[in-house]
Amino acid sequence: MILNPAQVPDSPLARRNPTVKLAVLFLASVALLFVLDPVTPAVIYLAGFIGAAVGGRIPLRTLLAVQLPFFAFAAGVLTINVLSRPGTALWEEGPVRLTVEGLVVGAALAGRTLAIGILSVGFLLTTDSLALMTSLHQNARLGARPSYALMAGHRLLQQLPGEWAVIRAAQSVRAPLRRAGTVRQGTVRQGTVRRGPGAFGRAGFALLVQSIRRGERMAQSLESRGLGLTPRTVWRPVHVTSVDLAFGAVVLAGLATVIGVAGALGLLRGPGALF
Amino acid sequence: MSDTDRAAARTVDVTVRAPGSPRPLLAGVSLELAPGERMLVLGPSGSGKSSLVNVLTGVIPFSQNLSVEGAVLLGGADVSELPVVERARRVGAVAQDPAAAVCLARVDDEMALPLENHGVDPSAISGRIDDALGLVGAGGLRERATSALSGGELQRVAMAAALAGLSEGGGIGLAGPTGSPADGGVAGARGTGALGGGGGGGGASAVLLLDEPTSMLDPAGVRAVRGAVARVAERGEVAVLLVEHRLDEFAGEAGARGLPEKALVLDGSGGVVACGPTVEVLAQNAQRLHDAGCWLPLETELLAITGRPGGLDSAEVGEWLRGWLRMRPVATAARSSPVDGPGEGDVEAPDVASVANHDDRDPLLSARSLVVGRPAPGARRSRGRRAPVDAVLAGVDLELPPGEVVALLGANGSGKTSLLLTLAGLLPAAGGAVAGARPSMVFQNPELQFLGHRVRDEIGIGVAGSRDEVAEIVDRQLAVHRLEHVADRDPYRLSGGEKRRLSLAAMLAHADRPVLLADEPAFGLDRRDTVATADVFRTEAARGRAVVFSSHDLRFVATVADRVIVLADGGIAADGPTVTVLRNADVLRRAGLELPPLVAWLLAETAPADPTTPARDVGDVDAVRVLRWLYATGAHPEATAPPLPTAAGTSLEEAAR
Repeated sequence: MILNPAQVPDSPLARRNPTVKLAVLFLASVALLFVLDPVTPAVIYLAGFIGAAVGGRIPLRTLLAVQLPFFAFAAGVLTINVLSRPGTALWEEGPVRLTVEGLVVGAALAGRTLAIGILSVGFLLTTDSLALMTSLHQNARLGARPSYALMAGHRLLQQLPGEWAVIRAAQSVRAPLRRAGTVRQGTVRQGTVRRGPGAFGRAGFALLVQSIRRGERMAQSLESRGLGLTPRTVWRPVHVTSVDLAFGAVVLAGLATVIGVAGALGLLRGPGALF
Repeated sequence: MSDTDRAAARTVDVTVRAPGSPRPLLAGVSLELAPGERMLVLGPSGSGKSSLVNVLTGVIPFSQNLSVEGAVLLGGADVSELPVVERARRVGAVAQDPAAAVCLARVDDEMALPLENHGVDPSAISGRIDDALGLVGAGGLRERATSALSGGELQRVAMAAALAGLSEGGGIGLAGPTGSPADGGVAGARGTGALGGGGGGGGASAVLLLDEPTSMLDPAGVRAVRGAVARVAERGEVAVLLVEHRLDEFAGEAGARGLPEKALVLDGSGGVVACGPTVEVLAQNAQRLHDAGCWLPLETELLAITGRPGGLDSAEVGEWLRGWLRMRPVATAARSSPVDGPGEGDVEAPDVASVANHDDRDPLLSARSLVVGRPAPGARRSRGRRAPVDAVLAGVDLELPPGEVVALLGANGSGKTSLLLTLAGLLPAAGGAVAGARPSMVFQNPELQFLGHRVRDEIGIGVAGSRDEVAEIVDRQLAVHRLEHVADRDPYRLSGGEKRRLSLAAMLAHADRPVLLADEPAFGLDRRDTVATADVFRTEAARGRAVVFSSHDLRFVATVADRVIVLADGGIAADGPTVTVLRNADVLRRAGLELPPLVAWLLAETAPADPTTPARDVGDVDAVRVLRWLYATGAHPEATAPPLPTAAGTSLEEAAR
């Protein structure tokens, strides 16, 4: 997904300024760190899910599939808390003891994981990585050298799978042949290539050497084109538009409302829930 | 202002040393380049040509741990203490590997980067991108993704990006009408450090450094680069320093006069042999350069061999070559030739009878209605079905009999590499079938194939046999491929030519692979290594192997190959005896190929009076023989390898009969 970004499809979310999106994601994540009840993160998760699906036009299947790691992590957090947290017993059988506190805190932590997960997924799937670097450089004052170095590195990363394939092919040609001939699709090949277990390591080493060389040359090339000279200009400036600001404001206001309403209803609990 | 102050680039007694190594990479090199001047750097491989380029850009000593003595001046200012990025105002560089020189995802972003870095007014950037791309003949590439460009296209983009930056740093008028008049003044005011002084008015100058810019290009690409270099120099403000192997192709029709007007010759130890007007330098050092294994423009090469100036246009040289054409390959005849006849180092003469007989033998490898293609981008391979492919070639039928050297020709992107990969069984055929023993293959980049940590181990990898047998094979390969002096070195630390020889030596150590495939085996090699490669191919064919290689160098092809397969328009455009195909102007045009002047001259001289004369006319063999003699003259003959044993203990050649 990140290695070979098929062009990020157009959507209202994709059109938003990447820096604004990243800032919103950051603020929302920080706010969620202080929320420790199961309901508030669940509401935020739901809102985030709908936002990503509708605003980001991400197909449901994709949206669910990329969340799998978050689901797994959330399930782990929930299980551990339910089984190990002391408190009022809900169910007891031999050494296994489930507690109410464990269930509540576990659900809260799991909900937080999922909520931050869906917001991150929504961000990643609607943001072109190069556009992000450009925007960070221009809107967030990230220096030209790290920005362009990362963009060049991105190109290097994109080339890796291709280079890996070439290296594997180049090296498999050298591997010893098996004696037995194979007949397949009318093709007679006297022997096939045997792949030893060390072959992976060697190919990895070749790839490493290759990448370091190429990275060095790219760095030289960037330098020789004057990257790092000041002052520099920007050809196609990326602007933070009023729509971007409105988007940020609306999302953050929505977040504040959810937390506020939860507080008013007495549902909201802070880190105190842990103790 | 004195002349010295106005020099775009000057080095004074520059010596480069690696720590702990007694032998310097460059020894006391002084040169001077005036604005608008072009200089060619010549020398055998390992003579420090790339080091010279790196000293000017500042990569040495700032990025590579080497010590530099002496001074480097750009635009009259001493920049010895300035790092690479500060020198960027005065120096544009195009590296050897275009894939590493292009850093961003889109061509226009790549082009905009140097302009932004130099602080060009954003409203002028778009126009400048078009100008710089237009200058190198790459105007149509502006909107393309860099990952989809061919090597030749990448090289032109890299060159345009280097030029685009210079146009600002040096204040030259590349931008034309779109450039804002304020730019020149801004450039002067903005300059920092030592470079600020010369930044403003007419003293502004810059230097463009090109390190083998055409090594990966087809003839059209070479023409585009040559035109770009000429146009850049014409502006009178940018000096061009060019390291180039393919002098003959770069010079084009004009011969030595088509080369940069000045030349600097380095010897094997990094010292300056000669520096001055190219025509004079070449004339005075023809013999020495030729002996050192450098590529030379044809005119100079012929001067070194015949002792007569003027190249093919000269009646004397023509008569001399005709004398060689008439000479029959009988050893005594060659020796008794009065003065300048071929010496002892002849490559073996082509044998008409053996060429003709090959048709009767069983092929070692054959392809039937083969479809060659790469998996379509984004396509997933589903079980039981072939992945959808972008077919590059279709309907490929070919047979490779033992004893034949076959050249694959075609423009950049015509599918040469894909066909080789498919024949090697590394790229699944999209249709049709390949039958025969699994071939061996050497890749264009030899580093990709290295598996060992020492040269000696590298050759022995995958070779079947007892420890002693393998050691014997390794020793033989080390001797045959001139690698004994580096036998215990790390393969990655060899020179470019040595790496190529090593990958070939390691591949040929496998006696159980009767077919050798090679992707651009002559690319980037100096004359000596090219001749050695030609020798290896002929020897391996004589031992019963079939050799298939792709190449852009038609002189190499005409010298080595028995047969030529031309790829064009998604299929095989021609397949036949080398000389017959090369005489077919229509096929050459379709495939975007151009005959080098020497080959064209020899083919014209030996053209049958009656065009209906059957192929493999004796005259054609004469032409090839002269080409081989020319390669062998002054080259260093290789030890010949004993016959190749097969598993059964008989030689391949015997087995094939």
